[in-house]
Amino acid sequence: MMTAAAAEDRIFQALVDPSRRAIFVSLTRGEAAVKDLTKRFDISQPAISQHLATLKDAGLVSGRREGRCVYYRVEPKGMKPLIDWVAHYRAFWTEHADRLERLLDRMA
Amino acid sequence: MSVTDTTAKEQSAALAFEFDLRHPPEKVWRALTDPVLLAEWLLPVAELQLAHGAEFMFRTQLQPGWDGTVNCRFVEIEPLRKLKYTWVVGDFLDTVVTFTLTPIPTGTRLSLVQSGFTPAQKQNFGGARYGWRMMGGKLVALLERTT
Repeated sequence: MMTAAAAEDRIFQALVDPSRRAIFVSLTRGEAAVKDLTKRFDISQPAISQHLATLKDAGLVSGRREGRCVYYRVEPKGMKPLIDWVAHYRAFWTEHADRLERLLDRMA
Repeated sequence: MSVTDTTAKEQSAALAFEFDLRHPPEKVWRALTDPVLLAEWLLPVAELQLAHGAEFMFRTQLQPGWDGTVNCRFVEIEPLRKLKYTWVVGDFLDTVVTFTLTPIPTGTRLSLVQSGFTPAQKQNFGGARYGWRMMGGKLVALLERTT
């Protein structure tokens, strides 16, 4: 199992490339086959496949084979490590505000 | 204390809270700016000087891949009213924290906003930082919808 930091690294690395990011955003609108994406982005099929492999490796998308086509879709839990970050700080501030209140009660 | 999570849905790249505290703004301000008091409720702080542009650090426990330091720099100081500083963790989290104090009949309404949850890229992927900033919170918002 990947550590949280390693998972984040892979997500960042996957999404830092503008083309890959565009492909990913495009997939959030719905499943697509490699050939659909090739048309949509005017990028060669091997390049699209390479981008998809990187996204898949980062856990951001998954592929489903149907006949001769592989359809790609966004992996719903893929972005969880990033969303967890925000959640972490939500809990952090709530907890520390409690401490602030207790401190204020003690202060003269 | 009453707490309201005022984070707007479409603005999930920021966290926003309002805390109603039963204490006057002068006292709350002290708790936000005195290093000894900060260490008691938030985190141990080093080199804190209340001056525009001044840099300081919060220190917390060592964690794998992180030395436990939060690097900060004052962006805005308006005594008894507003305190804004950067909250940067390593080269992977670049946010801004804003405290706003408003007097209310029962004490102080403390608003806290932490914004900029756009994962700054590790520096060794050069130039990426800019890319992430540019994306703003849109990506995270989008992804929260699809999750």
